[in-house]
Amino acid sequence: MNTVHIKKGYQLRLIGAPAAEVEVLPRPARVAVVPERLRFVKPRLTVKVGDRVKVGSVLFEDKRHPGVFYRSPGAGTVSAVSLGPRRLVRHIVVDLDEQEAFEEFGPIDRGELERIDRLDLIDRLMAGGLWPLVRELPFRDAARREARPPALFVHLDNLDPFHPLPPVYLRGCEDLFEFGLRALERAADAPVNVSLAKENAAAINGLRSRITHLYTGNYPAHDPGVLLYRTKRSAAENHSWFISGQGVLLLGQFLQEGRLPTEQTLVIAGPGAQTPRHVRARIGAPIAALGAGEVPAAGIRCVAGGVFSGQPAPMDSFLNAGETSLVYLAEGAESPPAFRWMLPGREATSYSRTFLSSFTSPRDRSMSCNRHGGLRACIQCGFCARVCPVDILPQLTYKAALAEEVEESLSHGLLDCVECGLCAFVCPSKIDLLETLRRAREAYYDDIA
Amino acid sequence: MNPINRFFDSQRRHFEKGGRFETYYFVYENIESIFYPPPHVTTASPMVRDRLDVKRFMFLVVVALLPHYAFGVFNVGYQSHLASGLPPDLWPVVAKGLQVVVPMVVVTYAVGYFWEALFATVRKHEISEGLFVSCALFPLTLPPTQPLWQVALGISFGVVIGKEIFGGTGRNFLNPALTGRAFLYFAYPVQTSGDAVWTVLAAGRTAPVDAFTSATPLAVAAATETGSVPQAWVDAGYSTAKLFFGLYPDSIGASATFLCILGALFLITVGVADHRIILGDILGFLATAGLLNLVAGPGSSPYLHLSPLHHLLVGGAAFGIAYMTTDPVSAPAMPGARWVYGFLIGMLTVLMRVFNPAFPEGIGIAILFMNCFAPLLDEVQVKMRLKKRVPNVR
Ligand code: SF4
Ligand code: SF4
Repeated sequence: MNTVHIKKGYQLRLIGAPAAEVEVLPRPARVAVVPERLRFVKPRLTVKVGDRVKVGSVLFEDKRHPGVFYRSPGAGTVSAVSLGPRRLVRHIVVDLDEQEAFEEFGPIDRGELERIDRLDLIDRLMAGGLWPLVRELPFRDAARREARPPALFVHLDNLDPFHPLPPVYLRGCEDLFEFGLRALERAADAPVNVSLAKENAAAINGLRSRITHLYTGNYPAHDPGVLLYRTKRSAAENHSWFISGQGVLLLGQFLQEGRLPTEQTLVIAGPGAQTPRHVRARIGAPIAALGAGEVPAAGIRCVAGGVFSGQPAPMDSFLNAGETSLVYLAEGAESPPAFRWMLPGREATSYSRTFLSSFTSPRDRSMSCNRHGGLRACIQCGFCARVCPVDILPQLTYKAALAEEVEESLSHGLLDCVECGLCAFVCPSKIDLLETLRRAREAYYDDIA
Repeated sequence: MNPINRFFDSQRRHFEKGGRFETYYFVYENIESIFYPPPHVTTASPMVRDRLDVKRFMFLVVVALLPHYAFGVFNVGYQSHLASGLPPDLWPVVAKGLQVVVPMVVVTYAVGYFWEALFATVRKHEISEGLFVSCALFPLTLPPTQPLWQVALGISFGVVIGKEIFGGTGRNFLNPALTGRAFLYFAYPVQTSGDAVWTVLAAGRTAPVDAFTSATPLAVAAATETGSVPQAWVDAGYSTAKLFFGLYPDSIGASATFLCILGALFLITVGVADHRIILGDILGFLATAGLLNLVAGPGSSPYLHLSPLHHLLVGGAAFGIAYMTTDPVSAPAMPGARWVYGFLIGMLTVLMRVFNPAFPEGIGIAILFMNCFAPLLDEVQVKMRLKKRVPNVR
């Protein structure tokens, strides 16, 4: 087992960390798939309102990759297909039947798993619609069937506040995890790296032998891109695959049972959550139903996927498979007290040392979505470069990206960027660095596709 | 909601897109944000942002300069009273100092802000708080005798030529305050050159000739032909303690070496100034002056024998090191380049002082000169750094 120390990055200390108990939520009345938060995917619908579907029936196909299907997380009647601006599909809602029927894909046991041809295994996973849980660096799109990855990374935890803790979601699932991991190992046909934060290692002794990397350090030390950056020796490794710990469980369960899994463990947490906790919920459950027992007050923003790398998810939205974090943050649209910028800042959260809070004992503090300042030109403070976990110079890379100097931004390591968002977080000029870098990455991806 | 918030909330719409005063949005934004950050929320990832903004960043530099103003007000009044033969009582001294310093500061800020606001409005960019730092630095580097119209001209030159013609804060490569100072130095050498002392005399008095027409420490050093420079300073009335505490006629706030040390420590502690630049500067001074000490023979000019620490004690050295070289915009951005940048500034300053009698003080010119080379230093280090990356294309 290797220990990796990640020195850069930043750990946000936010109040509202989830309690370790898991609450099992009641079955919701409806579930949905939310294509608007499925990155890169261009859906071609195969159902319409009124259609009857089973758990595992195809709802849509990815136009870019015929054969990559997205399947229904519930059985019942398609009750709504809501379209957003530019006719993008926002969500496809299924009203659940009392008794749900499943599409059967046929289970596979340990012995079969060892015998099955690699591509047959991938096809089987693709048919089940869960294959996109396996992602491919550097663009983080779904893994390509025809690719031969140099390595597979499995990250058990996610330091972006807040995500399910490995000891919580793995409890009692050790065998399933082993099974899923073996399947992925066969599908990738490459060395498998399983990483875990050192402080969580003691709590999951059962899987100790499978863990290859323990890491210490701040967010985003968990990110496979960071681990890859720290360990890679050649450019060939850049196209590694990765998947989260819960992704392994879902794929394992699908193979073992021959049916689409319908539940995942997620956290509902953050400063705006009344009882920050882990919950076991239906995949595709409505956010409003997850918040049962919470009155999501006006002026609360729901963020799916962590405060740094997540996206806002409106209250009328749903959570996709693999979206296991829901953070409630105050919108922060009201004006802060006058002259606050002059005050010592005993309670300010900052990467810099410009507030008194840096010199008192660190503790969890609240945060809102307020930007805390006006847009300014870059003042070359260098904070973004100091925080970047993969040694990019974001201030220069973003200028190159804005000027569409593709070669230059690539030489700066644009594709190494793990999209952690820390550069934009620390920037005193409030420059949306991540947004620019992400756009440049996507434009380049489109270009070479 | 307090009345200030209510006021701005009700007025904002006039300045936003489609409002009556849309053109002046950036001026409005600047003034509003002095009271409180506008209630903008994040629209892109990450959803939360650091509490630090440019205003706070720059404000901390101004905080570090406030003691210099307190000192400057006192010292200007004190020197004036001494030279005019008046008793140095505290309150009259302070009153005199305020009478001199306040108008200079007011003129600097008014004129500097005018230009910044004009360019911001025409070019539609935000007013960067870097301006407030430039305007706080500028008067401190001037002699108290500088006429106000020259102050106005100097800051205009600094803001317009040193900054705005390059596109405003962040795109300028020269330090605006120093640019303005250098302009005055070359345009009006009589008032600014620094080889004669500047003391404001009380109305109707003339300086008692023998005591108060001595030259600045740097001019003394340059003029020393035999003996040692420190001895010449003591003879001219500059004891080491006096040099350290800065209680002699000089520019308004730059002579107080001890305040510069405190200010530099403060700025390093809060992470606004980079210790690499400051240590680089000091190393440059130590190495260059030390080397000169070594090569200097018994027959060479006493200035060559002057120890590095003495070099650091006089002129604008400490002030320049603490506040001018550390300006992040005009310094290089890369950590290694910052060491080199600092070192070369220290070196050039000493060389200019010792070998170029035309410039009694070299640090300002040295910094501006190195400002021009900052992008080059950066480029070298960036190139070296990028070579080390494992390539990642496609
Ligand atoms: S460039 Fe920014 S978003 Fe990308 S890895 Fe570095 S800090 Fe994170
Ligand atoms: S953090 Fe922002 S202001 Fe500072 S160097 Fe980076 S881009 Fe420029």
